Amino acid sequence: MSALSGVIVADFSRVLAGPLAAMNLGDLGANVIKVEPPGGDETRSWQPPVDDQGRSTYFQTVNRNKRSVTLDLKNESDRALAFELAMRADVLIENFRPGTMARFGLDWESVHSAHPTLVYCSITGFGEGAGAEMPGYDPLIQALSGMMSVTGPPDGEASKVGVALVDVIAGLNATAGILAALHDRKTLREGQRVEVNLLSSALAALANQSSAFLNTGHSPGRLGNVHPSIEPFSTFSTATGPIMICAGNDRQFCQLVVTIGAPTLAEDPRFTSNQKRVENRDALRSELDQRLCLDSVEYWSEALNEAGVPAGPVNDIGAGFGLAESLGLDPVAEIDGARTTSSPIGLSASPAEVRLAPPGLDDHGVEIREWLRAPRDPAEAADQN
Amino acid sequence: MRNVTALEGLLIADFSRVLAGPLVSMTLADFGADVIKVEPPGGDETRDWSPPVDNEGRATFFLAVNRNKRSVELNLKDPEDLTLARELVRRADVLIENFRPGTMDRLGLGYDEMSDSNPGLVYCSISGFGSKGGAGLPGYDPLVQAMSGMMSVTGPVEGDPSKVGVALVDVIAGLNATVGVLVALEERRKSGLGQKVESNLLGSALAALENQAAAWLNTGVLPVRLGNIHPSIEPFTTFTAADGPVMICVGNEHQFRSLCEVLGEPELADDPRYADNPDRVENRVELEAELNLLFAARPVGEWVDALHEAGVPAGPVNTIEGGFAVAEELGLDPIDEIDGVRTPASPILLDRTPAETRLPPPAEDAHGEEIRDWLKSG
Repeated sequence: MSALSGVIVADFSRVLAGPLAAMNLGDLGANVIKVEPPGGDETRSWQPPVDDQGRSTYFQTVNRNKRSVTLDLKNESDRALAFELAMRADVLIENFRPGTMARFGLDWESVHSAHPTLVYCSITGFGEGAGAEMPGYDPLIQALSGMMSVTGPPDGEASKVGVALVDVIAGLNATAGILAALHDRKTLREGQRVEVNLLSSALAALANQSSAFLNTGHSPGRLGNVHPSIEPFSTFSTATGPIMICAGNDRQFCQLVVTIGAPTLAEDPRFTSNQKRVENRDALRSELDQRLCLDSVEYWSEALNEAGVPAGPVNDIGAGFGLAESLGLDPVAEIDGARTTSSPIGLSASPAEVRLAPPGLDDHGVEIREWLRAPRDPAEAADQN
Repeated sequence: MRNVTALEGLLIADFSRVLAGPLVSMTLADFGADVIKVEPPGGDETRDWSPPVDNEGRATFFLAVNRNKRSVELNLKDPEDLTLARELVRRADVLIENFRPGTMDRLGLGYDEMSDSNPGLVYCSISGFGSKGGAGLPGYDPLVQAMSGMMSVTGPVEGDPSKVGVALVDVIAGLNATVGVLVALEERRKSGLGQKVESNLLGSALAALENQAAAWLNTGVLPVRLGNIHPSIEPFTTFTAADGPVMICVGNEHQFRSLCEVLGEPELADDPRYADNPDRVENRVELEAELNLLFAARPVGEWVDALHEAGVPAGPVNTIEGGFAVAEELGLDPIDEIDGVRTPASPILLDRTPAETRLPPPAEDAHGEEIRDWLKSG
């Protein structure tokens, strides 16, 4: 049996962060009903790219294991069905701008007073206070939070991460919050509100970089691919492109310089400890680059790994999947021709499973509307009250 | 209002070090779980990862992910300490570890043995490349950023692939593990049994590549590095103002028109090359050049104010200090402070049973005596 079987999730969210939270719950067995406006989640039209059936690959990413129903929340009878869905759900997820759900009578206060055990999760860009009106676009939060300021080449532009990672992190925080609230509900039999915002998620994800600022008052600068306190722990140039080398201790450093044919570097007084290597970073890096550029990435990756030095190529995404396949990680889940990344959350007894492909718009509309119009199952009601 | 938190009563045996594992246990601790951090003699290695240090000489790295924990030093190579460690696991609801696969087995603390003595135990392992073919590979975040493809899509188009400036794959693997632990606890109520939860950095990075991964998986076309631009929206990137970059996120026609008005070139919105978003994506290079000319006239701050007024999403590329300042202004209370240690507040907000900070990041073995006494008692 799946871990979350029996849990009903009313998913009013769109785009990335909210749908990811709902998919995480769906992967682990929850029954997720995706409520879409006429026309559908806007990412259905975010294309190119599309798959060979013309479906937006963006939409496909975070919508497996859900059933879809179209409800026009501006229409009274559909709104009544949406409210009924909230009444039958264990979890509601939404990521509209603050205030939007209230216009539909689906805000936390209205829904909670009628259905006290519901866990109600809202994801916003900047919270519901002074930032309520600010649009929650991931790149804007990457810029405003400081994440871009530490990403990219030191002498070049501040760089955005090449995917909406703050959305992903906020979606994971929301998932964790929902699960903590479900856990708590079992003892108190009362739901609560879970709130996550992108800005706070970004600041928390900056982890040690945030902590460095908060506890010293200095904002960390942009270091490119270099680590602030470890060396060599960065990319270097080979004859065929960059290689990532992570020599985290003195033993690995010795193995590294032996492997590249420069064993005397290990005894060079400028490089005998990590602290000295950080201090004399530029000198060390040019010594290493000089040797590494004599052969290919493939050659050095193999030689260094054999010598116990963590190293690897800077792969493209295809090679990333190829690597995961070769390591037995089964990184791809395929259903009905839609390929998505497998759940990264491994459970031994009740693993994630893909039961449903990302749905076409309103694919399950008839069955869901009929269910919502029928009287509530007494057993379901008992479970909730 | 009761004075308990969501995860009160859960006992977490935390054998993990550095970032991903300690983030899992801190998140559980923030919601009330009792976390016992088991440290080897010398402590979690991040206690020595400095600079930077705070004014008491403590590594700020360690401070980042170790609040709300008690520390006990146990030398797992010493039989007496190992007995205490096993007793701790016998009493725990959750175990967290991020050693290389196989290490806990060698110590006699592996999943099979531990779940025999404590069938309800949720046993969480985090590794770099999984416990199969990648068991021997070291799980360093930059290596996974490089090998997953994440770096290949990050950084300037003309420049080198870039690492994200923080160990974000560690953070994401930690969040996945947290979700896995909470789901396993939920399942345990039905079955009475624990299970093994695994998360690895490579799988976490690939899953976090989301739409970029899906594009590759479903079209076979590799996403390329686009710098700060968005593959399918324009203008949705940084522009160069008089004193630095400004991020503009125009998501619809109305916002594009307002942007052109604020920039003093309303007729740009009527240019057929920029009539709608697909046109703008197609004619991106010309459009960005025209906009950059206009942005150069005034500093970031003036543009951001004017654009906000006009309802155009825009903002400066802040330092981390600037990031916290924005969050403060917006009332998000982004900083948690206890005993002089400042950490980012929990980003997971629960209204009835919120996260709370009860303990600062502990000095090594700060609670060793009380924990050892408790483990030795019946």
